[in-house]
Amino acid sequence: MRNVAIVGAGMTPFAEHFTLGIKDLLPMAFAECAGSIDKGLDKSDLQAAWFGSMGTTDGFPSGILADTLDISDIPVTRVENSCATGHDAIRNALFGIASGAFDVALVMGADKLRETASKDMLWEWEAMTRDMAWDYPLGLVAPAGFALHVRRYLHESPATREHMAMVAVKNHHHAINNPKARQRFEITVEEVLNAPTVVTPFGLYDCAPQSDGAAALVLVSEDVVDRFTDRPVWVRGVGSGLDSVMAQHKRDMTSFPSTVRAAKQAFAMARLSPSDIDVAEVHDFFTGIELISYEDLGFADRLEGFKLLEAGVTSVGGSLPVNPSGGLIAKGHPPGATGVAQCVELFEQLRGSSVNQVDGARIGLAHTVGGPTAVSAVTILEGPGGTNR
Amino acid sequence: MSYITSIGTYLPCWGTSGRRVPGDDEDAITLAVEAGRAALDSGGSVECVVLVSRDLPLMESSNAAVLLAGLGLDPELEVTERLGGAPATLDALGSARPRTLVIGVDIDAAGAAAALTGERGLQVRTAARIARSLPVRTRTANGLVHDYGDPRLLKERGFLASLAAAWVDTPVAVAGVEEKQAAALCAGPPLPLPTTGASSGLFALAAMVESGSTGPLVGVEQASLSGITVADGAAQINRREPRARAKPECAYIPSADIPISLAAYERAFEAKVRWEAGKYSDSDELDFPPRYRVDRDGTLRTDYSFVPLPRTGTVYTEVTVHVPVPGLRTPYSLVIVELDDVGVRALAKVTGTEPGTVDIGDRGRMVLRRVAVRSGVPDYGYAFEPEPTSDRALEAAA
Repeated sequence: MRNVAIVGAGMTPFAEHFTLGIKDLLPMAFAECAGSIDKGLDKSDLQAAWFGSMGTTDGFPSGILADTLDISDIPVTRVENSCATGHDAIRNALFGIASGAFDVALVMGADKLRETASKDMLWEWEAMTRDMAWDYPLGLVAPAGFALHVRRYLHESPATREHMAMVAVKNHHHAINNPKARQRFEITVEEVLNAPTVVTPFGLYDCAPQSDGAAALVLVSEDVVDRFTDRPVWVRGVGSGLDSVMAQHKRDMTSFPSTVRAAKQAFAMARLSPSDIDVAEVHDFFTGIELISYEDLGFADRLEGFKLLEAGVTSVGGSLPVNPSGGLIAKGHPPGATGVAQCVELFEQLRGSSVNQVDGARIGLAHTVGGPTAVSAVTILEGPGGTNR
Repeated sequence: MSYITSIGTYLPCWGTSGRRVPGDDEDAITLAVEAGRAALDSGGSVECVVLVSRDLPLMESSNAAVLLAGLGLDPELEVTERLGGAPATLDALGSARPRTLVIGVDIDAAGAAAALTGERGLQVRTAARIARSLPVRTRTANGLVHDYGDPRLLKERGFLASLAAAWVDTPVAVAGVEEKQAAALCAGPPLPLPTTGASSGLFALAAMVESGSTGPLVGVEQASLSGITVADGAAQINRREPRARAKPECAYIPSADIPISLAAYERAFEAKVRWEAGKYSDSDELDFPPRYRVDRDGTLRTDYSFVPLPRTGTVYTEVTVHVPVPGLRTPYSLVIVELDDVGVRALAKVTGTEPGTVDIGDRGRMVLRRVAVRSGVPDYGYAFEPEPTSDRALEAAA
């Protein structure tokens, strides 16, 4: 297989974009991505596109991407894999290029959540993740599905709600400098703990806000990378793992086996280990999920993720900063865009140009765990000048 | 003449001791199932079921199927859905063949009671019956209630006139009227009854058995009445009557109809309402919900059989949803329950306790409830009812 690099990355701000439709957000993200390619891009360079979107705002997603960018003469594949959608679009594009079928591919992710009334959105999205006869009628809304895990995790681990709050405080602090983030304000542990309860054990600030946004990457083969940049970011490993869809079938709810599986694949492909990671973007849809994911990704021992927070390891300035972009909690979470946007942040981190730059960051990891906690994706990137493979 | 072998009663835990109200997840069918299962706790076989109520949730089809499934009875049994109050239930009892389960159900005040007949046991026979018209309270098919508003007329020309016309001896117990009026009609002190409708006569019968009294028991509905004579004999009484407490406050945001797939409903029905898992003959593993399997070599397996699941278990994890969910009442608690000794877990809503009072490790039982109403369809399934604990009792008292 050929090596594959990211040569351009861009995204819209994540926000409640009431004034912008999906057909506006896609060209905006693409233009920023194209503008980041050091030696420029001509749209005719693109040979294939993968488009990750969970929803079908304004209709048929692949066609919408082709129409809005006027790229109807190349194949466009729509990817839907719950919250792992963005990473899975990257993974498919990677294999398309590595195999030799294409040299240059576009990867985009976008979703528009704030397009239907907030009171209707909940049931619309529920229908995508739940068994219609068994789970759907019980009101297992998205936060509740994750909370079942975190409640059990808090029961078995020494971690407390204060540790969860520390995740929110850290990620909000990171977001202050990020113009793309939706919630750019500091919060305190007390404010997190005293916020209105959404679903026990989550308060308002334990949850990522429903947001709109789009993100874009251009991936190229090692054979043509010089045409685009002298500072490529290499895709070293990708992984995708699954787990039972129904909550009652998950044997150990203190862990996400899908993440363990995805990470194992990605680390094996990259021939790296968790200790090699300098910076990570981790799925913090809810605070407790970041904590559990420290362990599933191999950054912490089982049930000891809280120690990283207590020691400041995962703050910018620590030895393994997690979510320097602000994460889903402070940046927002349009599911199709999220994984792609994580790699936009890592692209900048690994080229030394991030707003929250992690000193000397060379290897980055991005992770999402999705929907009914049944699918995860992990992507590992390496900065320019790396040893590659 | 009939012989009653057992009587089961059920009262929802909500309301006051004098007037129970159903939980938001209860209706006449789930109340009937609770009472019926209490009656069947003592064993005994059932050949037909008579359900008496004026509060049936569906006017067309389906009540009977849910009732039989909830009771764990054969879907081939005859079910009679009889519209009526206290007299209709006593009529059904007086003429019941052996192995008939007669269930009376009321929604306001809420309660249900069931009596199982057999070849021997407590002997009852019809003693009096009269139908007279004095419609002081009317309810149309779409639920519109009109009250004429003359309790003295109802007393004088209603049940007093009917009692006189029926030549019945002074009753030992009267069901279907308020306790004060019953006191004036009975030979001795009246039995306090939790309901005044279809279930009230069976509650009265249970009380007579427990107090060892025999004699006439009269069921009244406006100006119509039926009386049975209760003779000697033993019947097992099983009461599911938790202490009454105030129904918790809840928030509700209306929503457009929550969609239902009736194709999915129908496929899931057996396992979901009978509480059964799927099992393949060559495996000890239970699939819940039941499912097709594919062997290692790709062979499709569809020949699972249904096996009953345990109805007790322990909470593995719990959450309470506080955020408003359109179309549902909040807060509500959800649990994953580890069912006893089968390696199967179930996701369920919590019932019969205040939201947020169940903890990991708590024990409880799985009970049939109306877990949702979607697009007009009552959706039945199992909820987790925790065992009473001293903590919960204290919280309820506070």
